[in-house]
Amino acid sequence: MQSIYSAGTSPLHRLHPLTKLAGFLLVVGVAFVLPVLAVQALALLCVAISAAVAGVPGRVARMSLVILLPLLVSLFVIQGLLFPPTRTTMLFETPWLTIWADGFLFALGVLLRLLLLTWGVLLVLITTHPADLVAALEGIGLPRAVGYVLLVAIQLVPDMSARATAILEAQRSRGLNTDGFVRRIRSLVPLIGPLIVGALADVEERAMALEERAFTASGPKTTLRELADSGAQRVARVGLMIVLVALIVARFTVLRGLL
Amino acid sequence: MSAISLRDITFTYVEAARPALSNLSLDVPQGQIIGVVGAAGAGKTTLCALCAGFVPNFYQGDFSGVAIVDGQNVVEQQVADLVRHVGLVSSDAFSQISGARFTVFEEVAFGLENLGVPRAEMIERVEWALQVTHLQDLRDRSPYALSGGQQQRLVIAATLAMRPPVLVLDEPTAQLDPHTTEQLADLLRELTHNGTTILFAEQRLEWAAELAERIAVLHEGRIVTEGAPQDVFTDTRLLDLGIGWPRPTLLALHARDAGLWPRERPLPVTTKGLLEGLSATKDERRRTDVGQIEDRDVHPLPAHPLTRLPAHEAIVHVEHVRFAYPGGVEALRGVSLAIEAGERVALVGPNGAGKSTLVRHLNGLLKPSAGQVRVADLDTRTATVARCARHVGIVFQNIRNQLFARTVRDELRFGPRNLGYSAAQIESLVDHSLDALGLRDVADTHPYDLPLPLRRLVAIAAVLAMDTEVLVLDEPTAGLDTAAVARLTALIHDLAAQGKSVVVVSHDLDFCYEALQRIVLVKDGMIHLDSAWDALTSDQRALLDETVTLPIAIRAGLPRSFA
Repeated sequence: MQSIYSAGTSPLHRLHPLTKLAGFLLVVGVAFVLPVLAVQALALLCVAISAAVAGVPGRVARMSLVILLPLLVSLFVIQGLLFPPTRTTMLFETPWLTIWADGFLFALGVLLRLLLLTWGVLLVLITTHPADLVAALEGIGLPRAVGYVLLVAIQLVPDMSARATAILEAQRSRGLNTDGFVRRIRSLVPLIGPLIVGALADVEERAMALEERAFTASGPKTTLRELADSGAQRVARVGLMIVLVALIVARFTVLRGLL
Repeated sequence: MSAISLRDITFTYVEAARPALSNLSLDVPQGQIIGVVGAAGAGKTTLCALCAGFVPNFYQGDFSGVAIVDGQNVVEQQVADLVRHVGLVSSDAFSQISGARFTVFEEVAFGLENLGVPRAEMIERVEWALQVTHLQDLRDRSPYALSGGQQQRLVIAATLAMRPPVLVLDEPTAQLDPHTTEQLADLLRELTHNGTTILFAEQRLEWAAELAERIAVLHEGRIVTEGAPQDVFTDTRLLDLGIGWPRPTLLALHARDAGLWPRERPLPVTTKGLLEGLSATKDERRRTDVGQIEDRDVHPLPAHPLTRLPAHEAIVHVEHVRFAYPGGVEALRGVSLAIEAGERVALVGPNGAGKSTLVRHLNGLLKPSAGQVRVADLDTRTATVARCARHVGIVFQNIRNQLFARTVRDELRFGPRNLGYSAAQIESLVDHSLDALGLRDVADTHPYDLPLPLRRLVAIAAVLAMDTEVLVLDEPTAGLDTAAVARLTALIHDLAAQGKSVVVVSHDLDFCYEALQRIVLVKDGMIHLDSAWDALTSDQRALLDETVTLPIAIRAGLPRSFA
């Protein structure tokens, strides 16, 4: 895992992490509770506008494409061409290809949901410093030890890549030939062992370091990071959550027969 | 009342054959600064861990005795509750970074958050800690993007910010450059004036002698002697125990034998004492008009500054090399250097001068952006690192990522095996290297089960076993005890006698002076000075003094044979 946070001063960057999370939960709620294409498209439009406001639409689009493309291709092939739920309406036909409308619409629905989910997550992560996110979550009851592990995990990739570079440098300096494709792949074998052993060997020292820095000390804790919050945001968060609950309740009561 | 009171402590780690501490008693009054010295394995780190409450409740084992630190019984209290009373800075800075904070500033605040210090006070304390450790300019950097010395300062800052009444430091200077080392001594002295009690373990005896009010000598888990530095560091038992004396004391001893230090005057333990004593001698001689002492103790200066022998063919040619990292930082800006057979070269310079970048050019790990590096008959731009490694062996500064075998012996086999030596040759090279660094006893141990200083020797032995024409050592003495440093010095002289070249990157100028014959100063990506030690001009000495300090022997104006 590695942080994808990109620093900025947009309104979205400045929102309290929990406000963003509440918004994200509502979007997810819409995606999965209201399977109406128009509503989902509207929700997606809202997320897209937010991304534009935050100044990161390109980043969100690129990253979501990388994540979703393989999935989407297989989805359309399978649902649209091979195994449509029902073969009632043909969307179009060529001598060697038939697209069925039902399958296509189903795939489109799934696509919208997946896009909502990934765009939402990416937008929150890109506009929120991981430390702020964890601090906010700890504020609503996330255990500190879990928060610590999350933050360590984020720094793990740069740490491991620095280790891997150093190990490779040492091995090459001791005559290990890593030039050429096959040799490079083969040189991964002597790399992986020391990489893992090295990281594990540090665990006890890390535990000692945490003790030294009073991580397990009794008494109340304070935080350096101050999360800007406002009355309006607090009200908005509660509002968003009420809408979400209402949506879920409605889905299984009033709207039950309609959808 | 004593801030640290240890009574009859005996402690044996689980599965250890003999106790790490035995029948140890020690009292440290509040506000005192005490230095603990001893050879590797004497129990210094265990004593530090005990005083900080990590023994016996974190590192478990068989414990007896009574340990009271800042009024708290170490055995009865949990480590978590002792942190309000005592702070520990361990010797390995890297592993003490929390890993959960993204900037230096936040890392220093981490401990205060855990102690529940109010935010405004927290910021104030962090600012102070960064200021006294000279880290203000690095406050927004990631802790992992710092050099070893900077990480060491960071961990010290993080501990100081917690304001422990008792501060324990285990080899705090191992990775610091000379100027930073002096700054740390000033800082610690100031803390004791404000009532902090400090116990530190240290290999640099000179530093300990300057700083400590009291010295305790540890040997096999026992305190063999303790007292004022002046008394302890002139005790001949220290020589017998392999701990040695501080350099000023040894230099004065040689000076006494040469008639430059009166027999009746006690030997000094600090550089200041040495310099004052020598100048007093000089004044007395001048007054009594005895002899031409002036001529004898002034450093012999040859007429020409460069006394290198041009007869030898250089093995490594670095020619007008420039190198810029992908980020655009130009680390080398036109460096030329030739290393001849049998030369012993010191590469010195402040942190970030480009020394490590230069070292990585010597075997082609980095390729010059402009200019050329030739190793034997190879151009590093076209030859593989593996081929260059036949000629140049490099031991890197960070020991952590250089060892990858299951036993020390396998570790040593790795290099020669890659170079294609026969099985018999490999075994002979490995045996030779094990003996050269005194590692025979640990040959079958897993490298990670060894303490860091021994791991450093293993890393050196592993490169030595490749039998290259050039051996490059990056900070080889960090954390080594006197005996290991002496072994290393002997090894370097042996290699040179066999016609092999040694290049050492080091902050330890005294070691460079004793073990090496040529000095190269790198600063801002350029070579500012390249000379034999014996041919330094007074301008060059001044430049060295300003950038990296001078060896004590040169400062004292004593002949090279004394060092």
